[in-house]
Amino acid sequence: MIPALREFAHRFLGRGEGAITVPPFDGALKPNQTLEHAEIVATLPTAEDLATDGSALYVADGQAVLQMDGASLAPVRQFEQPLTALCVLPDGRLAVALAGREVRVFAPGDSSDIVISGEGMTAVNALAPGRNGTLLATDGSTDLPYAEWGRDLLSRGRSGRLLSVDPASRKIEVVASGLRYAFGAAASGDTTLVSESWRHRLIAVSAKGDIKPVFDHLPVYPSRLTPAVGGGFWMTAFTARTQLIEFVLREAAYRRRMMAEIDPEFWIVPRLTAGHSFREPMQGAHLKTMGIIKPWAPPRSYGLVVRLGADYAPLYSLHSRVDGSNHGVVAAVEVADSLYVLAKGPGRLLRLKLSDIKSEVGA
Amino acid sequence: MQEALVKFKSRYWPDHLLGEILSKRWTETAIPMIVLIVVAIALSRAIPGFLSPASLGDTARQAGEIGFVVLGMGLVVIVGGIDLSVGSMFALCDFCALYCLDVLGWPVPAVIVATIACGALLGAVNGVLIGYLRLRAFITTLITLIIFRSTYDLLLVGNSVKIAASMPDFPSWDFIGGGDVFGIPSVALLYIVVAIFGHIFLTRLRPGWHITAIGGSRRSAYNSGIPVRRTIALCYVASGALTAIGALFFAARLGTVGGDVGIGLEVTVLTATVLGGITLGGGKGSVAKALAGTLIVLLITNGLTTLSVRGGYNRMVLASILLVAAMIDIRWLKNRNRIISKVYVAPAYHYLPPPPPTEIGKGGPFEQNDKLRNVSLIGLGKIEAPEDVILDRHDNLYAGSRHGDIMKFYAPDYSRMEVFAHIGGQPLGMAFDRNDNLYCCIGGMGLYRIAPDGKVEKATDETNRSIWSVNDDSRLRLADDLDIADDGRIFFSEATVRYEMDEWPVDGLEARGNGRIICYDPNTNSTRTVLRGLKFPNGIAIASDRQSILFAETFGCSIKRYWFDGPKSGTVEVVMDNLPGYPDNINLASDGNYWLALVGMRSPTLDLAWRMPDFRRRMGKRLPVDEWLFPNINTGCVVKFNEEGQILESLWDLSGANHPMITSMREHRGHLYLGGIANNRIGRYKLDGADPNFVQYDKRWGKQS
Repeated sequence: MIPALREFAHRFLGRGEGAITVPPFDGALKPNQTLEHAEIVATLPTAEDLATDGSALYVADGQAVLQMDGASLAPVRQFEQPLTALCVLPDGRLAVALAGREVRVFAPGDSSDIVISGEGMTAVNALAPGRNGTLLATDGSTDLPYAEWGRDLLSRGRSGRLLSVDPASRKIEVVASGLRYAFGAAASGDTTLVSESWRHRLIAVSAKGDIKPVFDHLPVYPSRLTPAVGGGFWMTAFTARTQLIEFVLREAAYRRRMMAEIDPEFWIVPRLTAGHSFREPMQGAHLKTMGIIKPWAPPRSYGLVVRLGADYAPLYSLHSRVDGSNHGVVAAVEVADSLYVLAKGPGRLLRLKLSDIKSEVGA
Repeated sequence: MQEALVKFKSRYWPDHLLGEILSKRWTETAIPMIVLIVVAIALSRAIPGFLSPASLGDTARQAGEIGFVVLGMGLVVIVGGIDLSVGSMFALCDFCALYCLDVLGWPVPAVIVATIACGALLGAVNGVLIGYLRLRAFITTLITLIIFRSTYDLLLVGNSVKIAASMPDFPSWDFIGGGDVFGIPSVALLYIVVAIFGHIFLTRLRPGWHITAIGGSRRSAYNSGIPVRRTIALCYVASGALTAIGALFFAARLGTVGGDVGIGLEVTVLTATVLGGITLGGGKGSVAKALAGTLIVLLITNGLTTLSVRGGYNRMVLASILLVAAMIDIRWLKNRNRIISKVYVAPAYHYLPPPPPTEIGKGGPFEQNDKLRNVSLIGLGKIEAPEDVILDRHDNLYAGSRHGDIMKFYAPDYSRMEVFAHIGGQPLGMAFDRNDNLYCCIGGMGLYRIAPDGKVEKATDETNRSIWSVNDDSRLRLADDLDIADDGRIFFSEATVRYEMDEWPVDGLEARGNGRIICYDPNTNSTRTVLRGLKFPNGIAIASDRQSILFAETFGCSIKRYWFDGPKSGTVEVVMDNLPGYPDNINLASDGNYWLALVGMRSPTLDLAWRMPDFRRRMGKRLPVDEWLFPNINTGCVVKFNEEGQILESLWDLSGANHPMITSMREHRGHLYLGGIANNRIGRYKLDGADPNFVQYDKRWGKQS
């Protein structure tokens, strides 16, 4: 009774859970323009994910898996459905998710695929090698397909899952469920590190499915994770939080009508890229003054890669701010001496030399 | 169904009035007045004959006596102090009056003078100690309370019998004590006179303002040269004198010097003061508040006495009221501005149908193009915020800047620039009159006239006050654009009467008809409002019949026409509505049609929010302005339309690089000049097929040599 009353009072007065606050980009997340200044390797409007075996870079682009060969990208394999996730297994085989509903494991040059489906896979958006030859998969939502993640956020979706797939037996085990959009996983010792996007946090999931937050109160919606050479992880954030979105998430009537009446392109919801139409929602700080849009304006789209230490604490971060364009970062992998970043907003494959990053962000 | 309810409520429930009423200073007097009426009604219900003439007369007598003391206390509290010694002074003055009259046998006028002098002297003791020696008011008057009371008790010994024994018989003395004029007791009559003077003194006279200023901030008052010490001292003297007047009437009415005279009076008086709304912190208060407080306290004490409540309880009730009133006083003073800012913004229901298409390939008059890509730029980086641009007969270009200047760019290449006139506020719409005077609307200041030699004169900054509006809307807050009729009358728009210029987003959040159109007649130097309740009226242009104006309603997304003369005088017609963007300035084109700037474009999320006032109210409260959903004014266009409401042409800048925002445009000799209030440049666009000799003000006023 009293908690219910308190919740009502909080909502009514805008306190507690009803308060609309977004943590600032501070400390290791202090903004810079490193990502904005990155070298553009290729423009791939349909690219979706990156993976590496340590020396070669693979790109999931539309329905094809490409391999970076020197400066050019060569197709490795063509599928009949769009790819939503890609990873390289320790034995050199590749794993892909097709339309978020099916996982296939194959060896380059070999046409016999292992096809794994079932368990209600709906929006598999990331794959990662697990322990003992298994494959970790995050299923963002079991209600809505991968492309409709914006609607899942506005519907306050909480049907994300962490799956463990065994390619040998083609069995799928649900490790954790009820996550508020799982997007990205990486094995970390005995546990699995998972991005729980709508809760703005990273969680460590044990083999039994126990959840422990390890990095929370993020100002962004985290996405895919990859291990970094020398320990730690690269965490990407596909978009950032704003107070307006936090406010709209507390306004059920407006959300319902917006989803029913307005073209999704113009919703008040985070996007991978923004500023292409005047019909998109504009916020106060977006007003161009003397021809300039402020980089600190509330981001409708944002570009961010965070380097995490082995203890999951952030070490430094690479940004593309509101006035930039390398937004919607969904994947970052370290290959040799470079970090490859996929900015899905403009559809760009970016490359940053690790030595340059170190000098630029002082890490 | 639910939307119909929202619409109905928004139309008929004036929730914008709450904030306006609360921000009025008189609400602070209205609340004690309401309490007074409630108390009077409640007691008259409980006690038969409570409000009968006889009872009222008796109440008025007591009210007068205490009322004088409350006036004195009010004065001291306003100046930032407190006077606890009023009860003892009251007793001493009572003794003084009766001693002079009964024992010394002085004539009545001499008694009056002596008593008032005695009160003033006692007050002067406080005044010197607190004003000049700067002792704490509370502790000083607490001490004088004891000293005066002891003096009274000492004097009483031996004299009380003498006073009680004598029976003076002066008609004038009896008149003071019990006389009346047309049923109004003498004391009440004098009180009325003093109260009226006190009101004028506090609100209209210099010393009164000094007193309020010192109470508000002693240091600031001192810094601005007010004699702080003397004024404070004199307030205590006045308090003493007023107490003496009260005591004089008391002495005349009862003629006794008992041991209990004036005991507990300070609590009664303080309760009345605080209950009336005179803030204990100082700086705020009025005679009306003192009167209301006096009457409330008196009605309650008399009512309780009549209801045979014992004296102890009576006091307790009074003390409790004092406590509650002081608490409310403190809380209100602290939170007043916060409460007002929370309730002032009152969003309204605003429905716009789905807009016509603008996308390339969808056709229609608004179809986007890239015609404005190749504008040449004037004054890039040298001018900031040119809301409007205008050209004179000699091809020179004028534009406002946010530094409060009107800049002049010299023909033919517009690279030389100088300050034409400094006004001090943001210049908005501009127009030349017949004699080449430049009239300019200045945000936050009003309508200004700049002579050809650059001399600046104020044309008008106020209009007639609306009878039914709560806010005083006579001052101009955001004069926006203007045009001039044939007889010299100037019609200008005022975008909003509820907010300042920098608060325009709040007006957009409200989407209420807060704007108006005003007419200034330079022939009679008079200003009057001609149209009200418009949704951010903006651009204005005289129509071809010279009897009407076309005006744009920015948040209404419409162009309307208002006739000020001729057979249709006073009527308003819609020329165009449901525009896909927010219309700004309107100006004449060389072919007789009109150019219209769309300062921004509509977005579906804001259109939906405009239909949900409560959503916007919460947004306004919970989010900082930088995070609000705004009308998108980063992209705009210029369209040409005719008086039939047809769009003939549209000019866009697709990339938005040169002109993210266009608030005004002016055609001149085959070119279109573009201004934008958030831009740092003026654009110049070559018009194909336009009259290369078109000069707007040659055409408007006839060519001059």
